[in-house]
Amino acid sequence: MSTKSSIASSAFSRRGFLGFAAAAASVPLLAACGGGSASQGGGGGNGVIKFWDMPWATPAYNDAAKKLVDGYSPASGNLKASYQTIQWNNFYQTFSSAIASKTGPAVSTGGGFQAFQFEKQGQIAYADKVVDELKKNGQFDDFLPGVLEPFKSDKGYVAVPWQLDMRVFWYRKSLFEKAGVEVPKDWASLLEAGKALKNIGAFGFATGSGAGNNIGNHSMIMMMVNNGGGVFTKDGELDVMNDRNVEAIEFLLELVSNGIIDPASVSYTTDNLNAMWKNKKAAFGPYVLGVPERVGDTSGDIVVASPIAGPHGDKHGLVFPNNIMMYTNTPSQASSEAFLVHYMGQLKELWRQKLMNALPVFKSITELPEFASDPNNVKIVKEWQPIAKTFASQGTVLNDNLAVLDGGQALNQFTQTILTGKTDAKSALQAFESGLKSVIKK
Amino acid sequence: MSAVVHAHPETGPVLGVADTGPVKNRSVLSEAGHRNQWWRFVLILAITAIVLVPIMVTVVLAFTPGPNSTSTGFTLENFGSVFSETLAATWLQNSLITTLSTVIVSVAVAAPAGYVLSRGRSKAVSGYSLLLFVMQSLPIITSVVPLFILFAGMGLVDNLMGLTIIYVGSTMTVATWMMAAYFDSIPISLEEASWIDGCSVFGSFTKVVLRNSLPGILSTAIFAFLLAWNDYLVAIVFLRSTEIFTLPMGVQSFFQQNQTDWTSVMALAVIMMLPPVIVFATLNKYFSVGGIGGSLAGR
Amino acid sequence: MSVTTAQNGLSRARRGVAPGGPGGPANRKSRLSAQTSRTFFWLLLPSVILLVLIHGYPLVYAGIQATHDGSLISTGNFVGADNFANVLGSDAFWKAARFTLMFTIVGVFGSWLVGLGLALLLRTKIPAGGTFKVLLLLPWVVPIVVSSTAWNWLVATPDSLIPSLFRNLGLGTPLFLADPTLAAVTVMVFKVWVSFPFMMMMISAALASVDTTVYEAASMDGATRWQQFSQITLPLIARSTYISWILMTIFCVNDFPTIYLLTGGGPVDATTSLVVLAYRSVFQDFQTGPGVAIAFLMTMTLVVISVLLYRQIRKSSVE
Repeated sequence: MSTKSSIASSAFSRRGFLGFAAAAASVPLLAACGGGSASQGGGGGNGVIKFWDMPWATPAYNDAAKKLVDGYSPASGNLKASYQTIQWNNFYQTFSSAIASKTGPAVSTGGGFQAFQFEKQGQIAYADKVVDELKKNGQFDDFLPGVLEPFKSDKGYVAVPWQLDMRVFWYRKSLFEKAGVEVPKDWASLLEAGKALKNIGAFGFATGSGAGNNIGNHSMIMMMVNNGGGVFTKDGELDVMNDRNVEAIEFLLELVSNGIIDPASVSYTTDNLNAMWKNKKAAFGPYVLGVPERVGDTSGDIVVASPIAGPHGDKHGLVFPNNIMMYTNTPSQASSEAFLVHYMGQLKELWRQKLMNALPVFKSITELPEFASDPNNVKIVKEWQPIAKTFASQGTVLNDNLAVLDGGQALNQFTQTILTGKTDAKSALQAFESGLKSVIKK
Repeated sequence: MSAVVHAHPETGPVLGVADTGPVKNRSVLSEAGHRNQWWRFVLILAITAIVLVPIMVTVVLAFTPGPNSTSTGFTLENFGSVFSETLAATWLQNSLITTLSTVIVSVAVAAPAGYVLSRGRSKAVSGYSLLLFVMQSLPIITSVVPLFILFAGMGLVDNLMGLTIIYVGSTMTVATWMMAAYFDSIPISLEEASWIDGCSVFGSFTKVVLRNSLPGILSTAIFAFLLAWNDYLVAIVFLRSTEIFTLPMGVQSFFQQNQTDWTSVMALAVIMMLPPVIVFATLNKYFSVGGIGGSLAGR
Repeated sequence: MSVTTAQNGLSRARRGVAPGGPGGPANRKSRLSAQTSRTFFWLLLPSVILLVLIHGYPLVYAGIQATHDGSLISTGNFVGADNFANVLGSDAFWKAARFTLMFTIVGVFGSWLVGLGLALLLRTKIPAGGTFKVLLLLPWVVPIVVSSTAWNWLVATPDSLIPSLFRNLGLGTPLFLADPTLAAVTVMVFKVWVSFPFMMMMISAALASVDTTVYEAASMDGATRWQQFSQITLPLIARSTYISWILMTIFCVNDFPTIYLLTGGGPVDATTSLVVLAYRSVFQDFQTGPGVAIAFLMTMTLVVISVLLYRQIRKSSVE
C-alpha cells in the first residue's frame, strides 16, 4: 500500500506531469507489488481453489465459513482453497465481470438461480461427480426430501444445494389475542382475521416491495403457488393466466381493498418491514427464517404459523434452494470437486454455531440440538419444507429464466401494481405475462 | 457594465483578491443594521436546522446503543466496535490513500491539459475539449464491466492502484475544464513577460501560471476528492479483499441479506463525513473567491 | 466550452498585450510557437491516454454490446439497430425519458434556486456565517447510501416523522414513497437536497468575485433591490450559472444511486429514470443489448442538450 502512494506522489513531484503516463505504462509491473490480495489470477492460476461466498448472515457467519475453508487440508494431489466474501450489492456484476476476465472463482455460492444463468453461458462445471461422491459417503441419503431434484438438468447437476431459504407465514400471538381471532387456517379465515386485526390497528398481511425488498414479489408467487398455481407449467412453459393465479391475485386485491395490506407496503424496504413487525403493526405475513432475531423481539410473541389452505384445499409454500456451484475456469476440476465434497461435510458446523438464517439441506443438521431447540425451526422443517415449491412452480427443475422472474422488472412492477390496488387481477396478470414474455428466453 | 465584472484584476496575482473581496461586501451591506443581521441569523438557523434533519438522524443513531447493547442513552461504543471488530481503521487509511492519490494525479493531469485548452488556438484543441465532454457522458454503471475486464488483464483489480486510475479518469474530464476556465482568468501577459525573460513554454506554465492558480487547483481538488471519497459503484466491482476496502465498501459490508447493521453503518458514515467536513472548513476562505464556481466563472 | 475557452484565452491574450504587441524578433516568435505545439502535445498526452483508457474503451465496448444480443460475458450475435428499435418502441423507455426530463429540470433549477437564495443570504453579514456555510454543505458530503436511508426513515411509513407531522397538522397522512406522484416529488426533493450545496458553492464563488462598487453606484442611482438583483447580480453570475446548469444536468441525468436507493424506481415505474431503466434491464432482466442501448441513447441526448447549453455560454460571454 505504501508503495502505491509513494508511486503516486513521486509521479507528481517529478516535475513533469508526464510521470503519470509513465506510471500508467508500467502499470502491470507495479501491480505485482501492490494489492497483495489472494484473488489475482484466474479461477485459480496460482494453484488455489477460489471459493466465493456471500454475506448470508452476520459477519460472524463469514468468519466461521472462512475458518472452515482455511482448515481444509486436501488429500495429496489436490489444491487448497481460499475464501472470499462478495458483497450482495451488484453481485451479478461482480461475478460476470470476474468470469469474463477469467478472474472468477472456481467454486461459489451466489444468487439462487445464478448457476443456471452461467450454465447457459457455458461457465459451469457439472457436479455429477460430487453427487456420486456424496452417495458414497452417505450424505446423499441425508438430504431432506426433494432438495437435490431441482438441480438435475438434462446435462447433469448444475449445482449442489446447501441451505433452504424458506418463505413461511409468521404471526404475532398477542395481536391475535387482542383482536380476539384465531390464527388463520385458510384464506377465508385470513380475510376475517385481517378485518378484525384492522380494528386494532394491525395488518393481517405484512409485506413490502420498496427499494431492494423482494418479499413483496415473493408474496405474490407464494400465494399463487399456495393455491396450486404459479407462473410455470410442469414443462417449464410460461403459464401466467391460469385460474388459480387469477384467484390468488383476486384474493390479494381483496386484502388490499380491505386495508389488510398496509397501503404503504409498496414502498417498504426490509427495514420498514422489520420495523412493522417490531412495532406490533404486523400481525401475520410471509417472511424469511429467524424473524424474531431479525426484528429484535425474541420474547416468543412472534412465531411461525402453520401453512394455510387455499379455496381448493391446496397447501404450498415457497423455497429458494441456495446452492454451491463450480465453474469451468478452475486450476483443477478434481480439486474443485474434492473441496466441494469436503465443504458439504463441514456445513453442520455453521448451524451448530447458530449462525444461519436458513434451513439446512441435511436431515442430520435439523436434528442438532442447537437447531431443534427453536420450536419455529422444527415447525418449518416439519410443516413447511415438505410442501415447499420453488419459483419453477409446477415445474421440478430450475432454469435461468427464474433469475429474470426473481429479480426482474416484470414481477416487481406486477407486485407494486397489486399492492397499490388500482387494478383488477386479470389485466394485471396480462401485463405481467407480456412483460415476462419480452425478457424470457425460449 | 461588464468592465467591472472581473474580480481578478488582470494585473495582480489572483490570490490577492481573496483578502479584499469579502471585506468590501461587508462594508457595503453593513448599513442594513444589526436588527436585520439577527433576523437573517434566525432565518439561516431555521433553514440549516431543517436541511440537517436527515443528517441528525444519522448522527443520533451513530451515538445510540446498538440492538445487542446493554448501555442506554448516548454512547461511543458503536465507534469502538466499528474500529475493534472491523477493519475500519484500515478502510479509512485506504480511502485516504486512494482519494489523495486521485486528487494529486487528477490535478497533475488536468492542470497541464487545462492549460492547453485555455491557451491553445487550434481547432484540434477545441475539438478535444468537446470530446472530453462527450466521452465522459456514458453512465458509470455501463462502463464498470468493460473496465473491469480491461483492468483484470493488467492485474489491476482488487487493487487500490487500479481503483485510483479509474477515479482519476472519471474526475479528469470535469477537472480539466475547471482548470482551463481558471487559467482563462490569468492574463497571458504574465507568461509573455516570462517568455521574454527566457522561460520555456513549460517553464512559464509551472513557474508563472501554476503558481498563481491555487484557488483553481484547490477547487478542482475538492471536486476530485468528493468523487473518489464517496464512490461505491466502482469499488464494489473492483475490490474483493476486506483489507483493501475503502470506507464506502466498508459501509456495504454491513448489508447482509435482508438485514442491515444500521448502528455500525451510521457510525462509519459519521467517520466518513469527517474528512470532507474538515477539508471544507479549512479551505472555506478560498471558496469565497476561488471556489469551484470561481474557477469556472470568475473571470 | 471548447471553442469558448480557446477563444476566451485568445481574446484575453489579445487584451492582455499592450497595443502594438510585446514586440520581439519574428524568428523568436516562430521558435516559440514550434516549441509551444511540442510542449502542448506533451501536456495533453496524459489526459488523452486516460480518456482513451477510461472513457473511450468502455464507449466502444458499449457500442458493441448495444448492437449485439449477447450477455455481460459473451458478445453474442450482431443484430444491427434492433436493440435501439426495440427500446425506442417501448413505453417503458418513453416513460423513463419523461421522468428523467422532469427529474433533471427540477433537480437543476430547484437546486439552483435554493443554492442562489442561500448564497445571497450567506453573502450578507451573519453571525457564524462561515459555520453555516460548512454545515449547509453536509447534504452533498454524506454518502448517499446513508442519506437515502435517513430519508426513508423520515417519510416511508405512516408513522414516520414527516407523515406524522402532516397528520398532526390535519393534512392527512401522505404516503411519500407509496403514492406514485408523491414518490416522484419526494425523489426530486431529495435530489435538490443533495445538490443545492454544490449550487450554493458555485454561486457564492461567483458572487464573491462581483465588484461591490457596482451596487453602490446603482443604489445611488435609485435602483430598487429587485432591480439590483435582476439587472446587476443575475447578469454577473450568468456565466457561472450556465456552467453549473450543464454540470448539474450531467449529474442529474447520470444519477443512479439517488433514485435507486430511495425508491428502486417504483412504485410501478413512477420514479424510473433512464439510468435506472438501463441498470434494471442489464442487471435484473439480463437484457444486456437493450439496456446498453438505453444508456447510449441517453448519452446522445445528454450531449445534444449540453452542446445547446454551451452555445448559451458562448453568447453570454460575448462581452
